[in-house]
Amino acid sequence: MYAIKTLFEQPFRFLLTALGIAFCIVLVLFLLGIYRGVAIGSVEYVRKSNADLWVLQKHATNILRSTSILRSGHRQALEEIQGIDKVDPVVFILGALELPIGPKTVYFTGYDEESGHGGPPSLHSGRNITADREIVLDHSFAAKYKIKIGDTVHVKNDTLTVVGLSKGTNMFVIQYAFISLTEAYRIIGFAGIASCYLVKLKSGVTQDSIKNIVQRNLPDVVIYDQNTFLKNNIMELESGILPLLFFIAFLSCILLTSILSLILSINVLERRKDFAIMKAIGAPRGFISRTVLFQAFLMAFSGLAIALIFFFPLIKLADYLSPEVSIMTSIDQIAIVAGGVLIISLLSSIFPNLKLRKIYPMEVFK
Amino acid sequence: MNNTINIQPLAQIDDVSKIFHDATHNAIILNKVSFKIYPGELVLVLGPSGSGKSTFLTILAGLQPPSDGQVLLFGKELHTYNDQELQQLRAQHIGFIFQTFQLIEALTALENILLVMQFSSIRRKTPRDRAMDLLKQFGILHLANAYPKTMSQGEKQRVAIARALANKAELLIADEPTGSLSSQQGMEIVKLLHNEAKLDHRGVVIASHDQRIAQYADRVLYLHDGVLTDKQEV
Repeated sequence: MYAIKTLFEQPFRFLLTALGIAFCIVLVLFLLGIYRGVAIGSVEYVRKSNADLWVLQKHATNILRSTSILRSGHRQALEEIQGIDKVDPVVFILGALELPIGPKTVYFTGYDEESGHGGPPSLHSGRNITADREIVLDHSFAAKYKIKIGDTVHVKNDTLTVVGLSKGTNMFVIQYAFISLTEAYRIIGFAGIASCYLVKLKSGVTQDSIKNIVQRNLPDVVIYDQNTFLKNNIMELESGILPLLFFIAFLSCILLTSILSLILSINVLERRKDFAIMKAIGAPRGFISRTVLFQAFLMAFSGLAIALIFFFPLIKLADYLSPEVSIMTSIDQIAIVAGGVLIISLLSSIFPNLKLRKIYPMEVFK
Repeated sequence: MNNTINIQPLAQIDDVSKIFHDATHNAIILNKVSFKIYPGELVLVLGPSGSGKSTFLTILAGLQPPSDGQVLLFGKELHTYNDQELQQLRAQHIGFIFQTFQLIEALTALENILLVMQFSSIRRKTPRDRAMDLLKQFGILHLANAYPKTMSQGEKQRVAIARALANKAELLIADEPTGSLSSQQGMEIVKLLHNEAKLDHRGVVIASHDQRIAQYADRVLYLHDGVLTDKQEV
């Protein structure tokens, strides 16, 4: 009763505080959403590759931030191993598409369009490439540069027709662009190499047995099972952008705690007389502390409610203004943020509660 | 007070002194004060500003310990109460009335009374009914949903008395209860406190500099420079 009445006695202050909290929460939700978008966009290609084993040049651990160059001889050697059903080369090239507004860097992924292995993890619209001089672009890249299916783009001296738009292929700082192996070789200027080989095993063959044979026969390559390779790529991703995002989210949480703590402290000081009266007339110690804590919860969760009201329209706005920033949120993330808000409410009530201790019941006799 | 000789006092202080120390000197606020209050008794402690009346009341209510001497509240030594027991003592057995009323401005008259009921460990089935009865008893039922800022001084003091009695306190401690009231309002409030002492058998201690209250008091004591006597200094 007292907690609610005193909080709503100054509705403008309450609204400003709730909006400040909401702003911090939206920022945290955005950062977590960006992380999730980047995480999915960066590893979805590996996750949905349908390969049993990944073969790369020795010392390469992932496809995000390591260089791997394998010879075509490696493919032949792999195909000769009993138990291996299929070996598909993939070529990764950091290169530029020539667009009317200038060159734009993409992560060219050359694959065998006939087998389809190593192609887009999923399509947003259109189809996969079926012939040379076709290209599938990431849908957010296409949206940003207003490229539609049927349009043409230029790479070096080649003209490629956009036949499809992929999803789960946005790595935030760069996007995948799927082309034929032939085109990839034209871009780098020579053929007969691969960045990695996707290996499919015959049924009944164990991964460990093949890994042992490959390691023995090809000492200059490294071979990963699907799960290990996926973990490697996730680790690489987390060691890159994640700490930065989490640091900014952490700063937002500190800011949020400070705002809440400051407002609660001001409230305690403004209501000093009320608390002294309560202490004099027999308020239990916990009653006053709970009053402050309840006010912290009320303000913080009002902020959360406002944040959630604005968050989803803001995602749509961000997607419209900057399509390459892929923001993906989930119920889990919202639950984590709600849990964080709960903890922040508890933390922010500590300082005002310390101030309460210095309010004495004798003050009402003055 | 022959009729109270065999009854245990509600509060008793013996040879109590209160000394405040600072860097340069010691200020003696109360000097070997002894006092008892019995149920059904209204005692007036008269004294000018700065005579130590408020300090006397806060010690009597267990809000602060004495520097020296013994304080017995409801038959038990003050220093044997723990914090929680003292809080419950104030919430359930002692009612406070202040010169400036000390109502919580953000709450209505009814809510001010309900709030203090929350502080007591006694759970009433119908706290709202009890609060409304009190407001009716003091002729301010129509102010149940009014905020203190809309009330007259006299009305505020009536709400404050109703609040003090919300948990059926046996001991009422009033610090200058007429200080902010007109002469007529002040005497009405004192009559109400007198009735509480006589009809409901409560102990009432009033600290004031208002001599007119003496006509309603069973005993009048004088506090001057920290010394409590039953004789007025000339």
